[in-house]
Amino acid sequence: MKITTLMLSSAVALATLAGQAAQAKDWKTVTITLEGAYAPWNMTNADGTLGGFEPELAKVLCERAKVECKLVASDWDGMIPALNAGKFDIIMDALSITDERKQVIDFTIPYAATPAAFAVAKDSPLANAAGTGKTITMTPGQTGVAEIDALKTAFKGKTIGIQAATVYAKFVYDNFADIATIREYKTGADRDLDLQNGRIDLGFDDAVYFETAFEAANGALGFSGPQIAGPIWGVGEGLGVRKADTDLRDMFSKAIKSALDDGTVKTLSMKWFKTDVSPK
Amino acid sequence: MSTLQLLGFGSTGWGALLLVATLLTLAVTATALAIGAVLGTMVAAAKLSGNRLLWVLGHAYTTVFRGVPELLIIYLIYFGGSSALTSIGKAFGYEGFLGLPPFAAGAFAVGIISGAYQAEVYRGAYLAIAKGELEAASAIGMSARLRFRRIVMPQVLRLAIPGLGNVWQLSLKDSALISVTGLAELMRTSQVAAGSTRQYFLFFIAGGCLYLILTSLSDQVFNRAERRANRSMPSAAMGKA
Repeated sequence: MKITTLMLSSAVALATLAGQAAQAKDWKTVTITLEGAYAPWNMTNADGTLGGFEPELAKVLCERAKVECKLVASDWDGMIPALNAGKFDIIMDALSITDERKQVIDFTIPYAATPAAFAVAKDSPLANAAGTGKTITMTPGQTGVAEIDALKTAFKGKTIGIQAATVYAKFVYDNFADIATIREYKTGADRDLDLQNGRIDLGFDDAVYFETAFEAANGALGFSGPQIAGPIWGVGEGLGVRKADTDLRDMFSKAIKSALDDGTVKTLSMKWFKTDVSPK
Repeated sequence: MSTLQLLGFGSTGWGALLLVATLLTLAVTATALAIGAVLGTMVAAAKLSGNRLLWVLGHAYTTVFRGVPELLIIYLIYFGGSSALTSIGKAFGYEGFLGLPPFAAGAFAVGIISGAYQAEVYRGAYLAIAKGELEAASAIGMSARLRFRRIVMPQVLRLAIPGLGNVWQLSLKDSALISVTGLAELMRTSQVAAGSTRQYFLFFIAGGCLYLILTSLSDQVFNRAERRANRSMPSAAMGKA
């Protein structure tokens, strides 16, 4: 009798414990991961701290969501699986909100929307391809765009470098795999170095990222072809969260909305990008 | 920005971060060596025990961990280990993420490999002890334990020092592979600095120099230890000179 009671009560205690663990957390501290190597979105400072547009925006968002935030750097490839494994709670790394990614993780509303473009060495024969300086709008899966077809002719047989597992990688594979060789890199900076050294002919990435990379390259690199904007990159860049954490998603969506409404995002954007990246 | 500024200790210099990273490399290697010493001693004892089963186990350990790439072991322990721990946690009703921190996982991975090499070093050192000394110790009535403490242990340590110096250098270089776990040791910090400043040449050379400083300084430590251990062994000392 006694033993049965003991067993019963411990079973109840265990069930309660398990029930508590499965309940939603009451988010006091939130761990946010960034790459720390994608200036000016986010970068590693000489003292080892993280700086740039996103770390500063994160500070504002966490204050407004009334949570303590911890920023940790981790590699871009493997970030989404690591989020789902529970290594951190939020991805803030210029992560485009796309339908493919929505199948595995959830997103807040976007805090930025930026175009993408090709980069080349300034002295390359590919510099200033048709459409340079223009901005075109594309939708997902759109084909038969005159500007893209012109680039396909211009870039035939060339090598294009992309950062692996990005929306830009998918775009290049979808549109240029049949005419060019594609090379994947772990980080954007590695690709830029190869572009500068001439190992590859072209790079494709976020345009505001490239602006900063061009500065660092002392003018050795420049854009070629039009800037590509629009729904092809999803609705913009948002915070990635686990699907189960809807409360966390809503807290940060609210914080982003207020930072967009009062112009905080615009101010930070002008500081880091010299242009307004707030989603229109 | 000048080279001196980039490597210096000012607000734009990476010097302080590189120095911390060098110390972290040293700490992770020393921890790995200690873990390896425990594992290595056990494996060497197993291989020398004369017990068939223990010999097979010890032999399997040294064969596997000397024959599999270090990077694979690190991936296995850091990534594989955390998913194993998390699923064990789930079975007990804990929903969060469980995993070894990068330092522990890295030191453990390098320690396991270091243990395989250290086992061979200890085994070789034991076999180098003159048979007659062991027989003499038994003949005057020393128990196995006393014989181990007075005759075997001091000589194994003395004879193992040069081999341990090699294992230390191996582990020091293996520790660079831990950078894949995100631990900000010397390799990763050099990479981050190179990527952030786009001064690849400068920071990889700087990282290389710091590794060389670590290896040559530790070489001196092991040389000194060897000379000290051999101070009562004129023939061995002469061989060194």
